Amino acid sequence: MYYPEQKEYPRTPSNTHKIWKFNDILADTKIKQRWEKVRKYFFLRESTYDMTNRCNIRCEGCYYYEGEKQFARENLDPEAWRQLMQAEKVRGITYVVLAGAEPALAPDLLQTCYQEIQLGAIASNGLKSIPATVGYKIHISVWGNDNTSRLVRGAQDMLKRQIENYNGDSRAVFVYTFTRDNIGQIYEAMDLLADCGGKATFNMFSAPVGYKGRLRHTPESLRQTRLTMTDVMHRYPDNVLFSSYSAVAHTHQFGLHDLYKCSYPRMNPSDDLGLGRSFRQYRTDLTWDRDAACCVPDTDCADCRHYAAGSAVVTARLFRHATDPETFSAWLDYVDTYLAVWVMGYQKGRNLSDQSVSPPEQR
Amino acid sequence: MAVETNKLILRVAEVMIDELKLEDVTPPTFSPDIDLVDEVGIDSMDLATVALVLQDEYGIRIDEDDYPKLTTIRLIAEYLENKMQLKT
Repeated sequence: MYYPEQKEYPRTPSNTHKIWKFNDILADTKIKQRWEKVRKYFFLRESTYDMTNRCNIRCEGCYYYEGEKQFARENLDPEAWRQLMQAEKVRGITYVVLAGAEPALAPDLLQTCYQEIQLGAIASNGLKSIPATVGYKIHISVWGNDNTSRLVRGAQDMLKRQIENYNGDSRAVFVYTFTRDNIGQIYEAMDLLADCGGKATFNMFSAPVGYKGRLRHTPESLRQTRLTMTDVMHRYPDNVLFSSYSAVAHTHQFGLHDLYKCSYPRMNPSDDLGLGRSFRQYRTDLTWDRDAACCVPDTDCADCRHYAAGSAVVTARLFRHATDPETFSAWLDYVDTYLAVWVMGYQKGRNLSDQSVSPPEQR
Repeated sequence: MAVETNKLILRVAEVMIDELKLEDVTPPTFSPDIDLVDEVGIDSMDLATVALVLQDEYGIRIDEDDYPKLTTIRLIAEYLENKMQLKT
């Protein structure tokens, strides 16, 4: 059962022709409070790090096993990682994303990173527990029901095993990746997660460069995914970390780059400010390449709707969302969601906007 | 012109200190030529926040694409001055 189809919030004369002062937008107490809540985290400066070239499963469409980075030599020396983290701190990095291929297979390195930089997240398949002393958020990837997991990831009982490993763990956020084929299966996953009080957020399959497989989204699957996301948000309000605007931004016919002009170095030649200046994507040999640097390297930028990319790309577009109370509320919901998903201890508030606000054009 | 620029420099410094909660600096002691990105550590979100406040105050528009050029308080003040002149 789906909620009635939601149209994007129309830009009528009442909300586009009036030129709002930022101060007038903040005159709404709820907006002001949410703004003050999220802006405390503007100090976050992220980079990402591939920890090992090993993984205990092999998933179709995995971004790690595309391109050259998969062939980088592993550096498993904790002291080398410590020195890298110390240098990163000096460079101004305050937040680390530890990813590819499966970070749980390198627990010593995770511990070392955490000792040096205390804010971060680990992208894991959740099949191996990460020690509780590593106090990062842990994003556990879920790709559908058990049958789909067997087909796409070659692993059985994935969600059951993931929940066993992370039941009651406040670090865990289960990241459900919508593909063209698994949209309705979210309900099975959410029933299991709701039973154990787990938190979930949504990702969109974003095709690697050259990918021609069956998981790539179509206009119809994007539409259906948006409806389903909205329905699931309403059905499982205590378990889902998401917002109406998150659904719009990630299921739009245009990808994130076209909508928001991606600011990762790979698509942004400027190193003057922001992500273009500070972001690096380190390979397992602790080298990085500016031309390839983004949070999901080797993804087809035109198809990128990845949750991690949006967390930086949409969030960075504060200025163009400060046009009117509805649009700014939608952006605040997006940022509130992002922080709840990525920052330990951050509690998401109730969404300010239920409208499907259209992404604003550049001002 | 120089007097106006100096006033603007002080005001931009004041907004920056207030909005970004900078410590150990006051508008008169905030060097207008210090590199805000390299030496103060401000980022695009910080600059957007300051830009929104300055837009309100001076009734001009600061384009997102211009952010990379606004790397010192003096450059921001001169940018505002140019925008206000174009308005009149």
